[in-house]
Amino acid sequence: MSAARRRERVVLTPEHVELRLVPAGLASRFLALLVDAGVILAFTAMLAAALARLPWGIGQALAITLSFVLTWAYHLWFEVRQQGRTWGKRLLGLRVVDGHGLPLTWQQSLARNAVRALDFLPVFYGVGGAACLLDRERRRLGDLLADTVVVQEARARPLSPAALGRPRQFNSLRTRRVLRLIRHRIGLAEREFLLALCLRADALEESARYDLMEEVGAAYRVKLGIDDPHLSGENLVRDLTAILFSDEARLPALR
Amino acid sequence: MDIERFISSRRPQWQQLEELLATADKVPEWELGAERIQELVRLYRLTCSDLNQARSATANPALLGYLNELAARGYRFVYRGGGRRQPAGEAVRRFFAFEVPAAFRRERRLVLAAAATFLLGAAVGFAAVLEDPRNGRDLVPAQFFTESPRERVARIEREEERIDTVEKALYFGASLYTHNIKVSLLAFSLGALTILGGYWILFYNGVVLGAVAGLYLLDGVQLFFLAWVGPHGALELPAIVFAGAAGLVAGHALWLPGRLSRGAALRRALPSLWAMLLGAALILVVAGLIEGSFSQMTAKAVPYALKVGAAAALFAALVVYLFAARRGEP
Repeated sequence: MSAARRRERVVLTPEHVELRLVPAGLASRFLALLVDAGVILAFTAMLAAALARLPWGIGQALAITLSFVLTWAYHLWFEVRQQGRTWGKRLLGLRVVDGHGLPLTWQQSLARNAVRALDFLPVFYGVGGAACLLDRERRRLGDLLADTVVVQEARARPLSPAALGRPRQFNSLRTRRVLRLIRHRIGLAEREFLLALCLRADALEESARYDLMEEVGAAYRVKLGIDDPHLSGENLVRDLTAILFSDEARLPALR
Repeated sequence: MDIERFISSRRPQWQQLEELLATADKVPEWELGAERIQELVRLYRLTCSDLNQARSATANPALLGYLNELAARGYRFVYRGGGRRQPAGEAVRRFFAFEVPAAFRRERRLVLAAAATFLLGAAVGFAAVLEDPRNGRDLVPAQFFTESPRERVARIEREEERIDTVEKALYFGASLYTHNIKVSLLAFSLGALTILGGYWILFYNGVVLGAVAGLYLLDGVQLFFLAWVGPHGALELPAIVFAGAAGLVAGHALWLPGRLSRGAALRRALPSLWAMLLGAALILVVAGLIEGSFSQMTAKAVPYALKVGAAAALFAALVVYLFAARRGEP
């Protein structure tokens, strides 16, 4: 279980399906905020330029009022009317959802954004950032109050054997005996598991990856009767997966 | 279960759901039509069951992630709130005519607690200054001590710095109310997150006001003080108290939810927060505009008695607006 997994919030839908919401991290939220701040700044500048033609006092009063409204309404509008995504959040694949996984209401969005005044202190979201780091679900104070979460949306990565990369040149498992055992002893679920393990191995921390690969490798050493002491757990797992998913060695029993 | 066969047999349905959801994001519900919505709900349920099936059959993170995402999108559409649609103008009218006062009356206990805290602070500040004027220096921020109240009154009465045009008044007013709204949002946030912080900020603001009032009284220029602070203060100070009270309402839901879950208590408080915060913001806009213009008029332009009278009238109007029942109320 990686840290991201433990942090996720599980929502049970009326269909009795668990939906998993993965809270977004501090860095991506911060970048999204930077983008949003830039957008608001650009609009404010355009507004000021447009209002410069009016008489001084009226133009200034309008500029102050409108830029104030823009600063606060920007977040409200996008959170409620654009399915929880400001432009910055859209760019980074983030979304604000309510604690039940539903879209925000106006009321929730207002409560969330009213606390922005506090989260923003002392400079650019110092308080909010600290709250984010301390909270298990990476919520700033506004999220805490409105019961909302900023979630990271899964990027649609195609999980295909093509992503395994080039197999090792010499695959010591490619013997008649081992191939026969693979065909008989490794089921579909295990096949999926091995593929997932290989594809996600790069995302694991070094020592965790080593331990996991050794553990899985040891199980298959027994299962397939392999007693080559020089074959590391990771190489064993990768060779095995390469055989299972390589086209020339499609195992008919599994189709 | 053969995952690849499962994927290839279901993929058309998933893609259809994706397309329907993308359309639903763009067009309003009535344009989508009953047929397409029914189809969307059907596909959403299928996807849910596919997700459950896939979870029990595989650990493939891409497949599970994709289905989880798709089901979550469908869930957000199918179970989103919404409810009755009203014409925007009518909704705004109803909101300010009924919902704002109703929220204040519903939460009157905490509104009273906030007001009492503020007044207690004012009394403490006032008494401390009357007791010993030197206390004022400890209670009031230093920037107020560039000159004595009497000197200040004299300078202003000589009309050296004047706000004499509509434009200046508007500009000043806009700066004031944007600033005041930010301050009241801060008071709200502090109360909401810590409860005690909310009481403290109300108390402290009261102390400052009371101390300044005490200093002006000791210098014998109390009428000036009432005439210059009264007209906008009659609205502005209650608005700050209201924002603080909204913070207390939120804080109670967050920290003292009682027998409800925290989320449920917060959701129940949301309509009150919404009405109280927007109500306070509106009051602050009006107060800012008054502060930028009417409050700045000297005795030569408007007799002070009139200004103080206007202050009393504004305060009375506010109380009637918020706390008196009215006809046509739902």
